[in-house]
Amino acid sequence: MSEALAKTEAIVKKGKRLGADEVIAETTFGRSRQTRFSNNQVDITVAWDNYVTDVALAWHKRVVATQIQNFQNIDKTIERLFRLAKVSKENPTYGGIAKGKFTYATPTSDKTLQELENPSEHIFEAVEAARKEAGAEVNAGGILYTKYADVYLVSSEGPIGHDARSAVELSIRAFSQIDASGHGVECCSSLKDFKPSRAGEKAGQIAKLARKPRQGKEGKYDIIFDPLFFGSMLSTWGTMASAFSVMIQLSIFVNKLGQKVASDIVTLRDNPAEYSVNNRIFDEEGYPVQENVFINEGVLKTYLHNTSTAKIFKTKTTGNAGLVQPAPWNIEMDPGDKTRDELFSQVKRGLYLTNTWYTRFQNYATGDFSTIPRDGIFLIDHGEIKQSLKDLRLSDNALSLLKQITDTSKERQHVHWWIEAEPPSLAPYVLARDIQMTKPK
Amino acid sequence: MGTVDKDLVDYALNYARSKKIEYAETRAHSTEFEQLVIKNGTLDAFISTVDKGFCVRILADGGLGFASSNKWTKDEARILVDRAYRSARLAKREDKISFADEKGVDTKWRVTQKKKIEDIPAEQKIAELMEIDKALSSQEIKIPGRIISCPIRLTEKYFTNSEGSAISSFVPKIAAFAFITVVENGKPEQAYKQFGRSAGWEAFDEWNMTETLLHEARILQRIIREGKAVQPGKTDLVCGTEVTGIASHESCGHPIEADRILGREMSQAGRSFIYPGGPYWMGTRIGNDIVTIVDDPTVKNSYGYYEYDDEGIKARRRYLYKDGIIDEFLHNRETAAKLGTRSNGSSRATNYDREAIVRMANTFLLPGDWTDKEIIEDVKHGIFMKSFTEWNIDDRRFNQRYVGREAFLIENGELKHPVARPIIETTTKTWWSSVDAISQKVEFDAATCGKGDPMQGAPVYTGGPVIRLKEVYVR
Repeated sequence: MSEALAKTEAIVKKGKRLGADEVIAETTFGRSRQTRFSNNQVDITVAWDNYVTDVALAWHKRVVATQIQNFQNIDKTIERLFRLAKVSKENPTYGGIAKGKFTYATPTSDKTLQELENPSEHIFEAVEAARKEAGAEVNAGGILYTKYADVYLVSSEGPIGHDARSAVELSIRAFSQIDASGHGVECCSSLKDFKPSRAGEKAGQIAKLARKPRQGKEGKYDIIFDPLFFGSMLSTWGTMASAFSVMIQLSIFVNKLGQKVASDIVTLRDNPAEYSVNNRIFDEEGYPVQENVFINEGVLKTYLHNTSTAKIFKTKTTGNAGLVQPAPWNIEMDPGDKTRDELFSQVKRGLYLTNTWYTRFQNYATGDFSTIPRDGIFLIDHGEIKQSLKDLRLSDNALSLLKQITDTSKERQHVHWWIEAEPPSLAPYVLARDIQMTKPK
Repeated sequence: MGTVDKDLVDYALNYARSKKIEYAETRAHSTEFEQLVIKNGTLDAFISTVDKGFCVRILADGGLGFASSNKWTKDEARILVDRAYRSARLAKREDKISFADEKGVDTKWRVTQKKKIEDIPAEQKIAELMEIDKALSSQEIKIPGRIISCPIRLTEKYFTNSEGSAISSFVPKIAAFAFITVVENGKPEQAYKQFGRSAGWEAFDEWNMTETLLHEARILQRIIREGKAVQPGKTDLVCGTEVTGIASHESCGHPIEADRILGREMSQAGRSFIYPGGPYWMGTRIGNDIVTIVDDPTVKNSYGYYEYDDEGIKARRRYLYKDGIIDEFLHNRETAAKLGTRSNGSSRATNYDREAIVRMANTFLLPGDWTDKEIIEDVKHGIFMKSFTEWNIDDRRFNQRYVGREAFLIENGELKHPVARPIIETTTKTWWSSVDAISQKVEFDAATCGKGDPMQGAPVYTGGPVIRLKEVYVR
């Protein structure tokens, strides 16, 4: 047993000695590095090292949690936490944490992501690729982000394990004019698959096409969604599939298990697979993560659970436990059998939306929402991009949108950026019909 | 107080000074954090942590480097300095970063609590929050979704820099969030409220959350029962203080951030309709001449309160739009140097492991000379949008939309039936140019402003008086 795992176990034992019913401790040694750039130059490089143990403890169904930093003041902290549990209030819906010894997959982290020798070279590769597409005058900005974490988990209920998680992400936004831009991302769990030029090329291609945008017109459109845009929507639906969201009505999926919630071609799964920037082998209860199909051919099959919410819904945990509530890890949408170009050819008159931000709901239960496309917005005429547009807003309903999807591409991209496409996803190009667009008046 | 190891922070700064630097700063935070989450009547979890760490930021060879850790050792301090220094030098910028001139400041400041949060037992905090939920669930109104959380942060900070600054501070931030879903005849309507102060437990007493949330529940029920759709078209729109506040924040505060104006946020939070060489700049008209919007960190006990920013600059009121004209940008020392001015103390970081960036504090429209009643009485036909639900704005901060939560029809100067989710979708220029009446009373709402990657949710107030927008399109 490693020293970190032994110390993590000591925290759990301390909690048990005090009389806790269940204790779980997860130690993370995190090394994150980020280089931010704008106007084609590096603005700052940021490095965070973090040594922290998250501890959750239950006593007589009273659930309390804390953090211990760098294994300091363990006894004092756990004693304080236990005292807090004693004066806390019973949570009758608490159903315990995962029990048993589990076998986990072997972590496949990339150790080179602990510290890149020269992060700027990846940035300049992407900027150059954008320039090649859209011209030397391109103004690009973005972020290169690397993460590496060793995670040690010990539970009083049996689970014990070590995970090593790594990720590298590049987000680049290129401007060919002040109101003409394109955004590309490159997200991987290891450096060997990481090609910054792909993100730069895409940002540059869209920025070039986006030149001289005209005011868009309000109305209903058939829309091709780029994977980057649709990643935001997949994140929204994935979060709404969490049993926690359902219980507090922050979801369009309340009381819809077994019902048709999307068109037949929609299958969505949560899967923190090896390729994902949110890869992991166990959840925060130490339960092995798994692939969960939550919408199968348009039918809502399950919510995403931890042990407690699973008991409430009379089912089994899906391996989505966060420290307090279940959460999605990585949403995948099943691909179709057509190419991106074949998808475009199905659109007589519609829009191609490349990215979005600021998705907000009037009502999470009904799904009424709007989101603002950013970067390239294009008018499609008989399958061809005809004109760059601006100042449009998608103002529709999240449930209707799921039902109006008519086709998806076989190409898919792993996307994640900022808080807009979080959690990450694996998204195809998507065609949806009759979607309402509005504009300012 | 006294939990930050100042000697170690000073040691890190002195070590940084031994390098070939243009500037160095160290900043330590120690935050005692507590959060209670009440979900549908049960205490889901009680979280209690102490997060303590420090960072080093170095300007060397015109580049910036930053490193942070929560390991409090001299070895770690040297590692951070070496790392930040190396990163700064690796930047190899063509146009070198510099900071606007400032003199070092040696001071201490703190926000005092009338009722010290540390003295309030956990049982009392739980009981008071549970009482709110009990009041909500015991009504005849069906509220199947209720979540109330109360995060509290007691933060001690110590800031030092190579120009001689040494600033210690202590700020207690108390907040509460509530999200409720009312269902009537199978139809759901939802409301979200946020509360926040830089103060002690007395803030919790002053909020009167129970009455506020009961009011929201009753209004949602009334909207389901009586709410009618708006006849789309041009009309007078009277905005409550909550709507004035969000518009001030989104379409004045954000576009006036100088880092955004200069493109430093271009890939994430976006740019601004104000940019060098563009149609809008300082001195350009953006609204009616009765419109003056300020950002003011010095509003006592406000959620966005501070006396010195995270670059050690004294806080002061900033006039963003003055008499309808773009007047002053929000600056840190880097943006101020680029635009040939001085920092106005707008640089903030939410924790030791975050770079300080340009942020709003408390952004609000200054009062006019109408009463709320006079504004309503002066409307022949219009809508009163008291509060909002969905809202968003484009990444240039020009094309925005607000959807009403509590809203009523106005006819011949009187409030009539509720209106279901009226929508205004317009531009920044149209919004502020349409304001023709402003009431005398400013009210504030607590909010969490999002910016930065990783996200730094900064505590702010949004606010203003009741305003009237003349003849705007509402649907």
